[in-house]
Amino acid sequence: MRRRSAAKFASVAVLLAASLLAVGPALWCLSTALKPAGQLLAYPPNWLPHPPTLESIRQVLEQSALPIYFRNSLIVTGLSLLISLAIGTHAAYAIARHRFPGRSALLVALLATSMIPGIAILVPLYHLSVMSGLYNSFTGQVIVYSAWNVPILIWLLKGFFESVPRDIEEAAWIDGCSRLRAFYTITLRMARPGILSGAIMVIVFVWNDFLITFTLTISDSRRLLSVGLYTYISNYGIQWGQLMAATLIALAPVVVAFFLLQRHLVEGLMAGAVKG
Amino acid sequence: MNSGAAPAAARGGLRPRARKWRNAALPAAFLLPAVAFVAVVSIYPIFDAVSLSVHATSYAQVGAFIGLRNYVALAFDPGIWRDGRNSLIYTAFSLALVLPYSMGLAILLNRPIPGRGLFRTLIIMPWVTSQTITALVWGWLLNGDYGALTYLLQLLAGHRIAVLASPAGAMATLIGINVWASYPLATLLFLAALQTVPKELYEAASVDGASRWGSFAHVTAPMIRPTALVVIIQLTLLYLNMVTLIYVLTGGGPLNGTETLAVTVLKMSFQNWEIGKGAALGMVLTAINVLFSLVYMRALRGGEP
Repeated sequence: MRRRSAAKFASVAVLLAASLLAVGPALWCLSTALKPAGQLLAYPPNWLPHPPTLESIRQVLEQSALPIYFRNSLIVTGLSLLISLAIGTHAAYAIARHRFPGRSALLVALLATSMIPGIAILVPLYHLSVMSGLYNSFTGQVIVYSAWNVPILIWLLKGFFESVPRDIEEAAWIDGCSRLRAFYTITLRMARPGILSGAIMVIVFVWNDFLITFTLTISDSRRLLSVGLYTYISNYGIQWGQLMAATLIALAPVVVAFFLLQRHLVEGLMAGAVKG
Repeated sequence: MNSGAAPAAARGGLRPRARKWRNAALPAAFLLPAVAFVAVVSIYPIFDAVSLSVHATSYAQVGAFIGLRNYVALAFDPGIWRDGRNSLIYTAFSLALVLPYSMGLAILLNRPIPGRGLFRTLIIMPWVTSQTITALVWGWLLNGDYGALTYLLQLLAGHRIAVLASPAGAMATLIGINVWASYPLATLLFLAALQTVPKELYEAASVDGASRWGSFAHVTAPMIRPTALVVIIQLTLLYLNMVTLIYVLTGGGPLNGTETLAVTVLKMSFQNWEIGKGAALGMVLTAINVLFSLVYMRALRGGEP
């Protein structure tokens, strides 16, 4: 009995240490962002801001391009999420429910595209965006982000659609529901956990990406947060208080989205794991 | 196959050919946008990249066909071999650290422990932190003059160490940060796999007198082997192709000590504007990706009972 509780205590201690390691950098970022100017470069460092001040955050919001990058990231993430989910759910449903020639070849081809390293096709994408007039536009970025997420979504959602009992759909057809209406009103709703876990993956991917927006945009009015943060250093010199304030603002929405949706992410992965 | 007898009968009037067309039209319409997007944004560019890699280029201009000359130039460039070595070191050490760490955490998180849900949420947090932010925040923590970790290290070592100042130190640090950034998804996948292991198997093992290690080796390990292989494939590709974290934190330096193949593709293409050579190196990287995936997939298939 005593050995068991000792083991439990050790487990909790390790998990506490791992949690601290996981969130420690974000906490240090928060502490730096709230420090008054005089304490930023203290060495040894002050662990807590004394007194805490919103001065750095105010400067970032009022004097830098960060709010523009933030708006750009919201627009592009939102649109990419809608489009990739719309495309991905339909395709996954077709693959889950219909047997047609070339079905397994299509699945393998989709999986194979995720083996193409993004870095290897950046120049072609750059050319493509210039040729089509979509360089430095939201549309160009949204198209690339949506397309890159579609294969993962199809693989994830296929499993969920397969787990929706066919009888339920067929019953709806008999009741005079058209196939399309049955899909939109019944099947999609039943695959909700899968769609939500796909959503959090797309949000995290687009919100956090650096390379695509780095390649496909040139002006502040179209660039996303990651590149914005990176260029912050060169544009404003390294002001650690402001940089950490900007980082905090960039991190906040995706942390909130994660807290809201993380339960579904775990469910989604579990459902995938059960199928093996 | 598509429709049972009942719904077909319910729709009544349609003649067989019309019904067949309708059955094919729906999946085709559902699939078309996905196929079009992937074709334009993933498939076409890879062909374009192959084509670029066998042409002479000057800035964004594509010139004459030069066969494999770009590839030959890469093969005779000692810098490329150094980058390849860096890629392998980065990938191998990151994997060697992430696998035990994520599996250990998953095993602990799978135990009935108070506050398990909160621990899980906190431990997965680095997953939502972008590589850019990871690089900026860790760069600040390790800043040679004012960094909080620099100070803690100084307390331990007795003198101040700028870990990012030497090539080997920067590589080791980068691997550590990469472990921090990339263990969460592996932990989640392992956790998901562990929860599918039937409890009865552990009970049977303990009835048979298996030790804790014995039940891990004989019950847990075989059950999570497929997941482990999937995790290894995903992480290997992630590490081989990783650019942002390295580029923002060290830019490949100091003295090219953290320059991997993927970082060099970016620099060749968008800093030096040698896009033909960059495309050729991108193809080499793609080939390495495919090679690793095939080897692992073989192992995965071979391991199926």
